[in-house]
Amino acid sequence: MQEYKRIDIQKDQIVPIAEKMRKNGIYLVMIHAFRNKDGQMDVSYDYAVDPAIESYHVVGEESLPSIGEIYDVAATWPERELNELFGLQFEGLDMSQRLFLPEEMLDPQGKGQIMVMPMSELLERNGRGESK
Amino acid sequence: MSYIVPIGPYHPALEEPIHAKLYTEGEVIKDAEVFVGYNHRGIEKLATERNAIQTLVLVERVCGICSHSHALTYAMAVEAINGIEVPKRGEYIRVITAELERLHSHLLWAGIACHIIGHDSLFMHIWDERELVMDLLEKLSGNRVNYAMVTIGGSRRDIDDDLRREILDGCVKLKTILDRIAVIATTDKTVAMRTKGVGVLPKADALRLGAVGPHARASGVDIDVRRDAPYCSYGDFDFDIPVVDDGDVFARVLVRVLECYESIKILQQALENLPAGPINLGTKLPKIKEGQAVARHEAPRGQLSHMVVGDGSLNNHRVSVHVPSFKNTPTIPFMLRGNTVADAGLIIASIDPCFSCLDR
Repeated sequence: MQEYKRIDIQKDQIVPIAEKMRKNGIYLVMIHAFRNKDGQMDVSYDYAVDPAIESYHVVGEESLPSIGEIYDVAATWPERELNELFGLQFEGLDMSQRLFLPEEMLDPQGKGQIMVMPMSELLERNGRGESK
Repeated sequence: MSYIVPIGPYHPALEEPIHAKLYTEGEVIKDAEVFVGYNHRGIEKLATERNAIQTLVLVERVCGICSHSHALTYAMAVEAINGIEVPKRGEYIRVITAELERLHSHLLWAGIACHIIGHDSLFMHIWDERELVMDLLEKLSGNRVNYAMVTIGGSRRDIDDDLRREILDGCVKLKTILDRIAVIATTDKTVAMRTKGVGVLPKADALRLGAVGPHARASGVDIDVRRDAPYCSYGDFDFDIPVVDDGDVFARVLVRVLECYESIKILQQALENLPAGPINLGTKLPKIKEGQAVARHEAPRGQLSHMVVGDGSLNNHRVSVHVPSFKNTPTIPFMLRGNTVADAGLIIASIDPCFSCLDR
């Protein structure tokens, strides 16, 4: 079974950790996010410190610094995806173009992203009626 | 003269939708952009309304080529959260399916690459031989795609002695076929002229951009999850990770050909040493315990990761699927620069892109 180490950090530690990892040639596996039971965003930066994954978690932040300057597209694509799915903001990230989802899937207030909106509402928006 | 040449999202050389915008100076590409998202299906959202068994079926349909990889990686993540230890025989059967899948995926890609470079006789030869692998997969699982071999806690179908012998015989045949294909692919003038020095991605760029899989290994980056973070008993097998430094399309061909030999080596070891015992734990529909796990698998195109969050109920709280094409597609503009428009289709195809995976 692959090892998964959870390490909780503060928002201001994201960039220094990314810089350290990049300097050591560590791969950024992915930036993941989900909304926890308390409704807070849990964003994790997963690095392949083989054989384990070191997963650095930032909880309760809706706006985070982008690490695109450090990891280039390996970071900006996940950041753009999370912006579209959850409405997470990444400071310094160019969001002038869409990555996956069409414009009409975005709520002007940034709250209508598909991972946040209930399925029934999503289907209604697409003219598909009730869920299931 | 400067032109902007659009390629796709519907293009004869690319079976799936991607749009590339080429900024050219005469015939030479000066810069490029790629646009994806033409077929986003919201599978991660759907997964939040599914239980673990339903999600296995769902994620298996993310991709028609590496379907086993998705089911396997999702199962590994759920097993990690629930602390489930898979029986050894179940793990070996997972490995056997995964390596057969890698063989058919690499052969499929090699065929398409030959078609794009205009070597159609080799394309037909490779695809004809690929049928041997497809037949073995069909005998093993009952299906040519979406094998449904994985369940939470093991594998769903056993391998009896006759089938074990048949796959072992198939490996010998396949090796002979590969020897023939490898000679043509690596020495034929047509292949060399269209692929050598084309679409180069230097090692430093591959590392910086986070390329994975055979694409990264063709640029001299020595990574492979099967060795670096062993899972499913991969640690039991003796195999090499082919790495080539050139970073061009030819290197990508070479790495995949060499990887086919390694897959055959793994298959032979797994089949010859197939442990006795149960193939799964007979797990009924499991609740996904409260917790989070990330599982990684070396899919045919590179590192595939699934992140699963459980909240103690039957359904997933969150499933995040990250595919190798998500990592490799953003490298396309960097490879296109300085090449000609005529090579753009081949360069895009050389990463073995899967937009079905990418637009999951």
